[in-house]
Amino acid sequence: MNQSFNARRAGLLALNIVLGLVILAPFFWMVSVSLKPAAEPFAIPARLWPQDPTLDNYINAFRPEFRTYFVNSVIVSLLTVVITVSLALFAAYAFTRSQFRLLTVAMTLVIVAQMFPASAIIIPIYKLMRSADLLNTYTSLVLAYVTVTLPVAIWMLRGFMANLPLTLEEAAAIDGAGPLRTFIEIIVPLCRPGIVATSVFVLIVTWQEFLFALSFTSTKDMRTLPVGMNDFIGQYGIRYGELMASSVLISLPVIVIFFLLQRQFVAGLTAGAVKG
Amino acid sequence: MATVSLHHVAKIFGAFNAVQDLSLEIADCEFLVLLGPSGCGKTTTMRMIAGLEDPTAGDILIDGARVNDRPARDRDLAMVFQNYGLYPHMTVAQNIGYPLKVRGLPRAERETRVKAAAARVELSSLLDRRPAELSGGQRQRVALARAVVRTPRLFLMDEPLSNLDAKLRTSMRAQLKHLQRDLATTTIYVTHDQTEAMTLADRIVVMKDGRIQQSGTPAEIYARPGNIFVAGFVGSPPMNLLAGTVSDGRFSHDAGSMVLAGHSGPVVLGVRPEDVSVVGADEGDLRGRVYSSELLGDSVLLGITVGNDLVNVKVGPEGGRAIGSEIAIRLNPAKLHVFHHDTGLRLAEAGQ
Repeated sequence: MNQSFNARRAGLLALNIVLGLVILAPFFWMVSVSLKPAAEPFAIPARLWPQDPTLDNYINAFRPEFRTYFVNSVIVSLLTVVITVSLALFAAYAFTRSQFRLLTVAMTLVIVAQMFPASAIIIPIYKLMRSADLLNTYTSLVLAYVTVTLPVAIWMLRGFMANLPLTLEEAAAIDGAGPLRTFIEIIVPLCRPGIVATSVFVLIVTWQEFLFALSFTSTKDMRTLPVGMNDFIGQYGIRYGELMASSVLISLPVIVIFFLLQRQFVAGLTAGAVKG
Repeated sequence: MATVSLHHVAKIFGAFNAVQDLSLEIADCEFLVLLGPSGCGKTTTMRMIAGLEDPTAGDILIDGARVNDRPARDRDLAMVFQNYGLYPHMTVAQNIGYPLKVRGLPRAERETRVKAAAARVELSSLLDRRPAELSGGQRQRVALARAVVRTPRLFLMDEPLSNLDAKLRTSMRAQLKHLQRDLATTTIYVTHDQTEAMTLADRIVVMKDGRIQQSGTPAEIYARPGNIFVAGFVGSPPMNLLAGTVSDGRFSHDAGSMVLAGHSGPVVLGVRPEDVSVVGADEGDLRGRVYSSELLGDSVLLGITVGNDLVNVKVGPEGGRAIGSEIAIRLNPAKLHVFHHDTGLRLAEAGQ
């Protein structure tokens, strides 16, 4: 029995290694190409790792425009995270605690709405933005991103709030706190791991979004990083080295943030609230 | 400092009648215990007084004012929850001080009062800890300190000791009683533990199936249980209940008969373990055989099969018997409880 257990563990380990390789392979290729001199990506036979690694691509990628794109991306992403998560907190709390039956239906509709592909709704949204005179502004992007990320954010936070013991809200009511105060001083602090997880999710979605950003922005000074990468795709060719180098640069902040906050995801914060 | 009145209060959850037509008056400074098995409606009754549940029917009055439509936060009461309900993201001091913070007391006064409340329950050295770092008994005391940090009109306690081990429970029980005397605040206490009820209460209200079975001082409830349910629920070990028939002034049971004046027809005879004596096989009222004999230190608890019933008898520490020996029991005629066989209600004693 012990032997079969070990065999199972070995099997699972092997499977995990294979899955890990599949997931990491594109990242490896991205880094590899970004370090290759301009001629090498298409050399045959292809090399896994460049013969003469060079940082030229990074130097080329890190142009003044890149800084503008970066600032734009940061502004749009942060606004989206703050607005989406704030709205989602209120909505999730209502969905979690309300006894109102129709809310269950509403909750399903929220997730159904999420299923429309962006490419199906982009034209109507574009027209809306145009008639509201919002094209080529941060507002248009933030509005679109909040709309797209809000449903999933509500679902994530609702799942988290549903696990908070009701006793805490009752204790707060007995202690004299009204609903808003209970929400801000008791519920929100206890949702911190959920808020962190949701924020990272919204950040990743927004940070890498391409379609809306491409459609709604028309001048270089409004572009975000993913659209900015387009600069390397020209009429007569694609500069893969610079493209991959910017991809690495764009991915880095998200990867760093993810690792920094990883520990927060562990939802250990409610320990000690109630006996158990 | 408050009186509480419940007038024909009912609570229905879907198809379940949790509390039915319950009326109750609670006097100022009284320590009232709601006692009953789980599902009897005692916690629901307390939660309705707290404002955490809305009654389906009836009125709840605190100090004579109807509070049905007043939310919990405006009822000016404190509650200790069964699972403590401490805020995990706050320190002990912040937990205790939260009711004061909500009421907008200045920081300095808050600190003084938090320290005083913590000292009262011996928590002074733990004020900077978080609930997760505390033992069950310590968490319980934080919950208690949060309740006594202000002077509410009413204390509500929902099985506050049920998560503690037996030893701690006994010492917390004494602390609680002392604290309540000290603060002289009306207290409603919910428990399923009859020992807690007996030791803490000024008055016990025994509940079952959403209805009050009996209300009285612990001594009254113990000495004159109003029906079979109360008789079996209060007292440890519980009262012995023997079904039999009375005719011509004698109570007949499978295992014998004895004099019982003033009744006739089928009855249930109740007698507490300490009101039964064990005698030789031919000398007693009812014959039996020793099933178990347990030395409890200051006494021996005998289990005796009498016909189809098992009778518990409490005798002195020297009164142990060999298992299987034939004996007889004699019931103290002055301490008998007679209940109606069908309704379970207590029947008036002979001569009353």
